[in-house]
Amino acid sequence: MKEKINSIFEEAKAKISSAANESELQNVKTAFVGKQGSLSLLMKELPKVDVSLRPEMGKLLNQVKNQVTELIDTKRTELKLKASEVSADFDCSVPGLLPQAGGLHPITQMCYDLNDAFRSMGFEVFQEDDITSEMYAFDKLNFPDNHPARESMDTYWIEGHDSGSTNEKLCLRPHLTGGSVRYMQTHKPPYRFVYPGRVYRNETTDAHHERAFFQYEALIVDKDITFTSGKVLIQTILSKVFGREVPVRMRSGFFPFVEPGFEIDMECQVCGGKGCSVCKHVGWIEVMPGGSPHPNVLRAAGLDPDEYTGFYVNIGLDRLVMMRYGVDDVRLFHSADLRFLKQFR
Amino acid sequence: MKLSLSWIKDYVNLPEDTDLKQLAYDLTMDTVEVEDVEYMARRFDNMVVGIIEAIEPHPNADKLRVCKVDIGDGEIKDIVCGGINLEVGMRVAVSCPGAVVRWHGEGEPVVIKNSKLRGVASYGMICASDEIGLGDLFPANEEAEILDLSAFEVPAGTPISDALDLNDVILEIDNKSMTNRPDLWGHYGIAREIAALYNLPLKEITPFVPDVASDFNVDIEDTDRCPRYIGVSMTGVSVKPAPYQMQNRIWKVGMRPINALVDITNYVMLATGNPTHAFDATQISDHIVVRRAAENEKLLLLNDKELELCNDDLVITDAEGPVALAGVMGGAKDSILPTTEQVILEVANFESTGIRRTALRYDNRTEASSRYEKAIDPERCDQALALSMQYFKEIYPEVQVTGFCDKYEKKLDRAQIDVSLTWLEKRLGKHLTNDEIENKLGLLGFDVTIDGDNMHVVAPTWRSTGDISIKDDVMEEVARMYGYDNFEATPFTTSFEGAINQKDIDLVRNIKEYLAIRCGMQEVYTYPWMNDTFVNAVLQNTDGVLKLSTPPAPNLSYIRSSLLPNLCEAVVKNERYFDDFSIFEEAQVFYDRDYSSPYDATESLPSQKRKIAAAFATGTKKIDVLFREAKGVLEYMSRYTHMEEFTFKKVEKPVWADNVVWMNIFVGDDCIGEMGLLSKKVSMDCGIKNLSVILFEIDSTMLKPLISRTNKFEHLAEYPETDYDVSMLFDVNTTWADIYDAIMGPKKAAALLKDAAFVDEYRGKQIPAGKKSVTIRLTIGSEEKTLTSQEIEKVAGQVLSKLGKKVGGELRTQ
Repeated sequence: MKEKINSIFEEAKAKISSAANESELQNVKTAFVGKQGSLSLLMKELPKVDVSLRPEMGKLLNQVKNQVTELIDTKRTELKLKASEVSADFDCSVPGLLPQAGGLHPITQMCYDLNDAFRSMGFEVFQEDDITSEMYAFDKLNFPDNHPARESMDTYWIEGHDSGSTNEKLCLRPHLTGGSVRYMQTHKPPYRFVYPGRVYRNETTDAHHERAFFQYEALIVDKDITFTSGKVLIQTILSKVFGREVPVRMRSGFFPFVEPGFEIDMECQVCGGKGCSVCKHVGWIEVMPGGSPHPNVLRAAGLDPDEYTGFYVNIGLDRLVMMRYGVDDVRLFHSADLRFLKQFR
Repeated sequence: MKLSLSWIKDYVNLPEDTDLKQLAYDLTMDTVEVEDVEYMARRFDNMVVGIIEAIEPHPNADKLRVCKVDIGDGEIKDIVCGGINLEVGMRVAVSCPGAVVRWHGEGEPVVIKNSKLRGVASYGMICASDEIGLGDLFPANEEAEILDLSAFEVPAGTPISDALDLNDVILEIDNKSMTNRPDLWGHYGIAREIAALYNLPLKEITPFVPDVASDFNVDIEDTDRCPRYIGVSMTGVSVKPAPYQMQNRIWKVGMRPINALVDITNYVMLATGNPTHAFDATQISDHIVVRRAAENEKLLLLNDKELELCNDDLVITDAEGPVALAGVMGGAKDSILPTTEQVILEVANFESTGIRRTALRYDNRTEASSRYEKAIDPERCDQALALSMQYFKEIYPEVQVTGFCDKYEKKLDRAQIDVSLTWLEKRLGKHLTNDEIENKLGLLGFDVTIDGDNMHVVAPTWRSTGDISIKDDVMEEVARMYGYDNFEATPFTTSFEGAINQKDIDLVRNIKEYLAIRCGMQEVYTYPWMNDTFVNAVLQNTDGVLKLSTPPAPNLSYIRSSLLPNLCEAVVKNERYFDDFSIFEEAQVFYDRDYSSPYDATESLPSQKRKIAAAFATGTKKIDVLFREAKGVLEYMSRYTHMEEFTFKKVEKPVWADNVVWMNIFVGDDCIGEMGLLSKKVSMDCGIKNLSVILFEIDSTMLKPLISRTNKFEHLAEYPETDYDVSMLFDVNTTWADIYDAIMGPKKAAALLKDAAFVDEYRGKQIPAGKKSVTIRLTIGSEEKTLTSQEIEKVAGQVLSKLGKKVGGELRTQ
C-alpha cells in the first residue's frame, strides 16, 4: 500500500507540474483527489489494510492528499499569473484608435505658449481691432509724411475710406504697433503687455510671403529702463519656443518707431551657429525687430519721454512656427487644409 | 547695394590682413546689415586666358572648329568651338574642366567636364562673354561671338580673374537697413564709417577749384526744393568707352558701363552717393533754370516715357522748356548723344520728399531718385564735383572748362543736441567715461563739448539731414560704437499690483480649447476677405459689407461681415479628402456702420466684432445625428468655459439655413448668434457636393464670462435613485421641449421625479402615421428613504398621466 500511495503521489506531482492550463489542472484534481479520484479510492480501501498498519497508512494517505491539494492550489495560482484574457496570438501591433481628433491652429498654439510665459511675468494680453486709421498705423508711430516706410508696408485700404487726411483713411492694420499706442493711451503706466494679432500687407505671395500673417508684440514701459532689459523679453520668447536657452544678438536696425532700433538675431537652430544654407552661412537668423519706443511714439501715447522709456519686440509668429516644425510654405497657415492642420496636436 | 572692397580701399587704408568676415560682422552689428560677402574671383575658378595656336575644321560638323589652344605652361589643348570670330593668335577665355558656365548665358549653371563634341574630344570650352557672366562688361555684338581678350596682354594660362582685375570682394548691403543713413549710400560713405569703427584715417577728396570766369549762370527758383546746383560747362569731350578700370568697377557693383561720359556720372554717384548728370551742351539753349513745372507741361524722358507734369514736379529747364526731371531722370533730347562734344555737368542737391513724390507719381524710380529721396546733405556736392572733374581731366586730357556756376542758396545747419550725461547713463545701463563718449562720437565726426552734466553735440553735415535730431539718436550712436554685444542683459524689475485677470481674453481661449480639445474640432484660419461666390451663396446680400480698394484679386474684394462664407469655402476645399469633419474659426468681422471713436475723437472706426463660427460637415451621418452633435457642442460650451448658458429659440431664420433645421442662440434676452443646416440651394451654390453641413456663428463679445466657477456642490443621494424608461407615442409636431416642459416645468409631474432625459425618438413601421415614439428616461428617488417598486410605479404613472393630459402622449402598447 505504501508503495502504491507513493507511486500515485509521484504520478500526481508529475501531472500537476505538466498541467498547461486551469482545465487540465482541474482534470488532475478530479483524477486524484476528486470523489472518484485515485487517492479517494485508496482511502476507501483503508479498512482492508492490516490493522497494525492502518493508522500509519491513513496518516500517510491524508498527508499525500493534502500535499496534492496544496500543489494543485499552488499550480493554479501559478497558472493564473501566466494566463491571459485573450488567446496568445493577440496582435498588439495593430494601430490604436485616435481619440477625438481636433486641434488648435499651430499659430494659436504658439501664441498661447507665449501668452502663458509672459503672463507668468505679469504681462497682460491685449487685443485690438483689425481695421485702423492711417493716423494710428503711421502718424502716431513717427512715420514722417511721405516716408518710404509708409509704402514699404503696402497697405490694404478700405474702399470709400482710402483718401483724405490720415484720420479718415482706413486700412487693415499693416502692423500691430499702432494698437500698442491705443493701449498706452487708455492705461496707466507702467506697462507690461503682449499683443498678438494678424496683420495685412498687399504684396505678392510665395512660400515666404503672405498677405495676412501674425505678429506678437511685447512691450514694457517704465521709468529707468535700459534698452538692455529688452534682451530678457527676447530670451523669454525664444526659450519658450525652443525649450532651451538660444543665443541672441542685437544689432543696429532702423524702424521709425524705435530709437535705438535693433534687428534681433538668434543662433541658427539648424547648424548651431556654424553656418549653413538656412542662415546664409552666417550662423544667425533674423527673427524680430526691437528697440526702445521712439520719444514721439511715447508722446503720441500721452507719456513724457524724459520720464518713461521702454522696450518693445515684435516677432513674426508665422516664421517662428515655421522654424519650430520645419514648415516650408507660409501659405499653408491660411489654407484651412485639414491635411496640414491635423498634423499639429 | 553692392560695394567693391577695392573701391572702398581707395578712401580708407584697410590693413592688408583685415579679416573680411570680421569686417562684415562689425558692419552688421554696428551699422548696416551685410547680407553677403562674395569673393568675386570664385565665379571664375578654372577659367584661364588661352591663346589660339591653330584652327582646324571639325570632321563631323560644318559650324564647329577644332582649336589648338595654349592654356599655359606649354600645354596645347584641343577645344571644339562654334564661335564665329575665332582667329589664330586671339586671346580667349577658356573654361577648363571644373569651371561653372551658363549655356548661352541662360538657364542653370553647368560644370564643365572633358567631353566629346560630335566625336571629337574637347578640353573645356572657349566662352562667349555671357556664358561666364561678363555679358554686361563685354557686350557681344552678335550671337555666337567669342569673348576676345586680345586687348589684355597677359601670358596664356593667366587666370581670368587676374587678367580682368576681378580679384575683388563684393559686400552686399541690405538697403532696408540703411534707409535712415543717406550718408552711407556710396563707397566713400561706407569708407568713412569703417574709418570711424576702426579708428583709421580717411582719405580726403581734394576740392575742385574752378579757374574760369564766365557768365555761365544757373537760376534756382525754388531753393527749398533745390538747395544747391553746380553747373560746369566743358568742351573737348567725346563719346568713347571709359577706361577699363572704371567700367570694371561700375560693372562689379551691378550697373552697366555705357560710355565714358555717362560712366563718369555713374561712377561718381557710386563713389559719393550724390547723383550727377551730364547734358549735351549744344542742346541747352540759353541758361539753366531750376523751377517747378507748369501744370501739363510735357517732358520726354531718356527712357522714352512722355510725361505730363504737374506743379509739384521740379524740373531743370532751358529757354525752351524742361530738359530733365530733377533728381529723377534726364530728358531724351538733351542727354548724351553719340555726337556729343560739349557737356554741361550737373552736380546738385534736391530736397528728398519732392523727388520721392515725383518718382512715385510717374512710377519712374531710378538710381538717382532712390538716393535723393534718402535726404543727401548739400555739402556732398563738393566731393561729387571734385571727383567728376578729376575723371574728366583723366579721360579727356584736352577738356576745357568754359563755364562754372555754384548756386548754393540754402546752406544746411549742422544738427545741435544737448544730452544729459545722467540720462545717458541711465538709458545705457552702463557708465562710460566722458573720454570714452567724446572719443566714440568724435570718430563719427561729431563735435562734443561737455559742461558738467550737459553734453553739447554737433553732428557732422552728412548726419544732419534728419538722421540725427534728438538725444536718443546720440545715445544710439554711443551704444553702437561701444558695441551692442558689450551690454549685458539687465533683468527688469517690476512691481506686481495683483494677478492678471482678463476674463474676456480667457473666455475666448477656453472656448477655442473646448472646441478643439473636448469637441474634437479643428481650428482653421482664413483670410479677412471673402470670395464673391461664397458671398453670393451664403450672405446673399452685401449691404453694409466693406470692400478693399485694391483687393488681392477682383473676386476677393469684400471684407468679411461673417465668418461663414470662408468656412463654407474651407468645407469645399476639404471635401476632396475628408467625408466627416468639423472646423471652427475665431476672428473679427466688419461692417460699414456703427462708426465709433474709442481712442481719438477725429478718428472714426467701423463696426468690428469678434466672432466664433463652426462648420460640421458629414457625408456619413444622418442629419439628426449631425444636428445633435452640433447642438451638443453649443449646449455644453458654457459648462466647460465658465460663462452664462445659451438658450435656443426660433426667431429669425438665417438666409443660408434650411427651412426647418435652424435656431437662434440667446444669452439672456440677447440674441448672440445662430445655428442651422446649410440649405440644399446654398450648399449647391457653394459647390459642396455630398456633405451635409451645419453651421453656427456666435458673437464672442456678447458672451458673458462668469466671475468665478459657480456650480454648487450637491450632496450625493443618500438613497438609491432609479432610472425608469418609458416609451410614448406623441404627435409628430410635439417637440421634446414641450414634453420636457410638461413634466419638468413649473408644475412638476411628481415630487419624487428628479429628472427626465431624452433617450431616442423613433418613427417607422410600427408607429401609426402622424405619430412618433419618444423614449424618456425618468430618474426617480427620494431624499428620505429607499422607494419601493410600488412607489416608483406610482411616480411613473403620474408622469404618464401628465404627458397624456398636457401633450397628448399615449403609452406604446406592444
